[in-house]
Amino acid sequence: MSDLKIVGKNVARHDAWEKALGLTCYAADFSMPGMLYGRVLRSSYPSARILSIDISKAERLGGVKAVLTAKDVPKNESITRFGQTHTVGGGFEGLYRVLADKKVHFMGEAVALVAAETEEIAEKALDMIKVDYQLIPGVFDPIEAMKSDAPQVEEGRSNIITHYEIRNGDVEIGFAESDMIVENTYRVPFIDHAYIEPESGVAWIDENGVINIRVSTQMIEHFREVADVLGLPHNRVRVIGTNVGGGFGGKADITVESFLALLTYKTGRPVKLTYSREESILSHSKRHPYVMYYKTGAKKDGQLTALEVRLISDAGAYIYFSPWVLLLSTVHATGPYRIPHVAIDGYTVLTNNTFTSANRGFGAPQVCFAYESQMDELAKQLGIDPFQIRKLNYLEKGETLATGQVLDHYVALRETTDRAYQALGDKTTPKGGRVKVGQGFASGMMSYGRLVFLHDTSRSQVSIEMDGSVTIRTGVQDLGGGQSSSLCQIVSEVLGVPMQEIKIYISDSALTPLAGTGTATRQLYMSGNATLMAAQEVGRILLSKAGEMMRIDPRRLDLMDREVIDREGTGKSLALTEVVKACASDGLPLYNVSLFKAPFRNLTQYERIEGQVYADFTFGSHAVEVAVDEETGKVQVLKLISCYDVGKAINPLSVEGQLEGGAIYGMGYALTEEIIMEKGVTKTPSLSEYILLTSMDVPDVQTVILESGEGVGPFGAKGIGEPSVVSVAPAICNAVYDAIGVRIFDLPLTPEKIFRALEEKKKRLKFD
Amino acid sequence: MNKKIHKTYFIEIMVNGEWKETDVTPQETLLHVLREKLGYTEVKEGCGKGDCGACAVLLNGKPVNACLTLALQAQKQKVITVKGLGTPEKPHLLQDIFVKHGAIQCGFCTSGMIITAEGLLDRNPSPTREEIREAISGNLCRCTGYKKIIEAIEDASKKLKRH
Amino acid sequence: MEYIQPKSLREALHIMRQFKNRAKIIAGGTNVIPDMRIDAIKPDVLVDITCLKSLSYIKEEKKRVKIGSLTTVSGLKSSRIVQDFAPILCDAAQQFGNPLVRNRATIGGNLADASPAADTAVPLLVLGATVITEKEGGKGREIPIDQFFLGPNQTVLKPEEIIREILIPKPDLNSRMFYLKLGLRNAMAISVVSVAILMEIENDVCKKARVALGAVSPKPMRANRVEEILKCKKITGDLVEKCSQTVEEEVQPITDIRAGGHYRRSMASVLLRRLIIQVLSEGRA
Repeated sequence: MSDLKIVGKNVARHDAWEKALGLTCYAADFSMPGMLYGRVLRSSYPSARILSIDISKAERLGGVKAVLTAKDVPKNESITRFGQTHTVGGGFEGLYRVLADKKVHFMGEAVALVAAETEEIAEKALDMIKVDYQLIPGVFDPIEAMKSDAPQVEEGRSNIITHYEIRNGDVEIGFAESDMIVENTYRVPFIDHAYIEPESGVAWIDENGVINIRVSTQMIEHFREVADVLGLPHNRVRVIGTNVGGGFGGKADITVESFLALLTYKTGRPVKLTYSREESILSHSKRHPYVMYYKTGAKKDGQLTALEVRLISDAGAYIYFSPWVLLLSTVHATGPYRIPHVAIDGYTVLTNNTFTSANRGFGAPQVCFAYESQMDELAKQLGIDPFQIRKLNYLEKGETLATGQVLDHYVALRETTDRAYQALGDKTTPKGGRVKVGQGFASGMMSYGRLVFLHDTSRSQVSIEMDGSVTIRTGVQDLGGGQSSSLCQIVSEVLGVPMQEIKIYISDSALTPLAGTGTATRQLYMSGNATLMAAQEVGRILLSKAGEMMRIDPRRLDLMDREVIDREGTGKSLALTEVVKACASDGLPLYNVSLFKAPFRNLTQYERIEGQVYADFTFGSHAVEVAVDEETGKVQVLKLISCYDVGKAINPLSVEGQLEGGAIYGMGYALTEEIIMEKGVTKTPSLSEYILLTSMDVPDVQTVILESGEGVGPFGAKGIGEPSVVSVAPAICNAVYDAIGVRIFDLPLTPEKIFRALEEKKKRLKFD
Repeated sequence: MNKKIHKTYFIEIMVNGEWKETDVTPQETLLHVLREKLGYTEVKEGCGKGDCGACAVLLNGKPVNACLTLALQAQKQKVITVKGLGTPEKPHLLQDIFVKHGAIQCGFCTSGMIITAEGLLDRNPSPTREEIREAISGNLCRCTGYKKIIEAIEDASKKLKRH
Repeated sequence: MEYIQPKSLREALHIMRQFKNRAKIIAGGTNVIPDMRIDAIKPDVLVDITCLKSLSYIKEEKKRVKIGSLTTVSGLKSSRIVQDFAPILCDAAQQFGNPLVRNRATIGGNLADASPAADTAVPLLVLGATVITEKEGGKGREIPIDQFFLGPNQTVLKPEEIIREILIPKPDLNSRMFYLKLGLRNAMAISVVSVAILMEIENDVCKKARVALGAVSPKPMRANRVEEILKCKKITGDLVEKCSQTVEEEVQPITDIRAGGHYRRSMASVLLRRLIIQVLSEGRA
């Protein structure tokens, strides 16, 4: 792996050019002749029966071409699948309902669809649909929802969707052996993905009778579900994924696809549906709020002895990814630590809040906030340096998680924490007044790649053209993280063809080999490997022919700069195009489709998590310096350092981008973001109320990239898109504690919360 | 039945140096007209009410939210979108530098961001980092954390100086 | 809906008298357009006064500064005259919304919208500004700014009245003034609390003080009781404490999604204390 020529280099991404020039056609930028405009009527209440829906007036409005309700959907209820083809069972797959039928379960649930000649007419038609609601009691707190007398969110089933547990050793013994026990409850809120591009798509029926859906999505595999909804064979629905204007997990669920397909199928005409920001916030998934009870025991030297955890997550009104997120949280709840006695119980519970699903981190940021706060609390109680206590307990390669999964690859936490902390430097002197400066850090782990129970695969096709240029076809979705560009780099490295001569086609369920979902930080790992395999096979065919032509052992030959050269310096070379022509002439395949498989396991039971759950993990740390105004509670982040072992940085510029962006995504989680829901009603309906960080709020994030080379992705790469978020929030909380001696146990750390905590502290000191 | 008929008005706007004509209703925004009626889909809608900056265009040289400007208010005015700054054959320095710095991920905020940056550099050719931060504080980005965007604009300002 | 773009203020006044409540004036549009988007307002006629260039000016006269109502917030921010004679208005303009919005929003529009958190209102209150309006038939008024606001989004303006300009008396040479805004982020933030203070100081004695606050009552307010405490007094630590306690009693903050009433009350007190101390230690006229 020495002397890589293009992998590991900063490369300007091909998609970046089009975006800079304003040429990229996002989902809402596309139009078809004769196109209609779709709109969705949404529930006005979080919990109600639908007694009747009168669409007669709406249907009669001039320009309206379709008004649909649940009865018009051929298969209104099915099972949510997120691209997997292997059925896991045990509640892993949940109910998917296209339109509300007889009941609404959350405010914002889709009740009816309209397609009309203009947007104005469609809006007017929505107003004309009369829905007769009968309010029924709902439940808005997952802990309340767990009680036996709580209203059932979905009739005929318990609100408790899933329970997972992990047991290792015996916590009774563990706590008995502890010299110190720290017990706390942590809470984290609903979070919106707040991608700058709202959900959008256009659907039409082509000349072959295939329903085409051109949509901003992280999952083109939804074509199967949409076909099922329409009662059509799978090959009659095609999903074309566009350049996604931000996904972060929010476009992993079906958003507009079913609605578009139904409307285009009914009207026979192209239909466009774009959500307003308010509609997006109201109706799409959120990050799971968690209540996390943590009881951690340690010896006086800091060695962890026992951990008891209870996680309760709010699944909202529909199951979607909730069991998967819970599973990830449960597995990650210990953090990257060696703990002999562990008892973890996780529950995910239905409520009448907006449904929750994938959001960058997928359950890892929530538990990291808890376990990294616990570590600092333990350090404080034991009088040990926070770094020392972690070094003592960090897992190492070859050790096992509490589930029994062996960490097969290097665990770089000592290095990431060390480097991050070093980069912090000396504490900044506060600018006087009532401002206190504090430093803190946190480390974390997160899997990359999907659960091994899903039998995940990815496919990629690499072809070489007659003139030596290269075409890649793969179902990869490009969310802006450089997903497609990295694949070009990999192929360029293997085939010795310059980046400008490589074109990639992505994200078309009919025309590109399916590569699985743009989620779970899996694309570089899975499709990177598939693409590497395909390129290597094409390379092998080329070198074999070249060897024949040059009368040299192909093992001595390399592909470089559009030539085949003899590595052993005889000076012999052959133009790539000559080899290609010779292969074509001989009827040899100048392409390869490769399938890459993640490790496969099968679940034998669905409650106790044991053994390998994920292929691998990414480890990293954040170090933070904050200035806290003691009178107003305002927190300013002065320094934020992100240090991760990414295995191998295929494009360091892209990796930095993920680390910087992930750090700020995590900082928003820590300080300003919260979807406030009161009895199922969203009180933060737009970006005026849901507070994202602006350029004036953020520090200059410093990134340190470590490369252990031990990832399971191509060239030893690991995934970084989601892991880069995980440990920011606890790092900030730990720094705030260092500054003002107050710990906040629930996010976000608003100035008011800090102010109140300081008031409480003052009162306590008065009585001491 | 409540029949509210909106009058329509004929307007001419100069967009990227070309005069464009269309009919609009009073409350129609410049954003809507640019995207839906005149085909300038490079101007993005992120929120429709001035919270995100994705729709930034130059109106008579000043960066504004197209969603907070009525189309009628742009009557006979000059509008520049990111496509008016540079083309594939002749890209604007900012476009080139944004790409080279890795300041573009999903790209949805990019059109507005580059417009705002151009508005800044036009008015203030040597901004400090703080001034850059302030200038783009109305352009939200969810992907990059802003760092590479700020670096790109700073680099552009240095390169522009030399010319 | 109809759209009219009057060519002169006179024409605009005539239209407003004709249509009264059925018409809505639009200038920068940064409030009117979002309001129309959610049907919070549904005017029959939109009267676009952005082309009335005669209403966009900042003029210095011997004893006062005159600001045309169509002056944009950007214009306020970058004006040397405003910086010299009403620096707190510059500060407020700097922290108003975001740069894109500042290029469109106008001072007249901000006042007419009358949000309890209106950013320009708070400095104008301590500056003792006067709002000059026009009405057809020459029946315009000179409204002192502290009589201008009635409640949330309510002013004394009649439907046919248009704000022409804002007069700011040049502050006394002994005046010192400061402004602080507390928001949940550093840009695009609606005030949680904002406070402005203007004190005339002579030999460490405060001859006169004006204190204004935003986002802590139904309208931008003057803290009259605090002003009374400060009048003709030497500023001592005890006096400052008394002021911060009194302001907590004077404000009537609500609890909303941005902040709780108790927090706002406490922050009014914190910011006021900081401002008085700043006046004592720095000060500029």
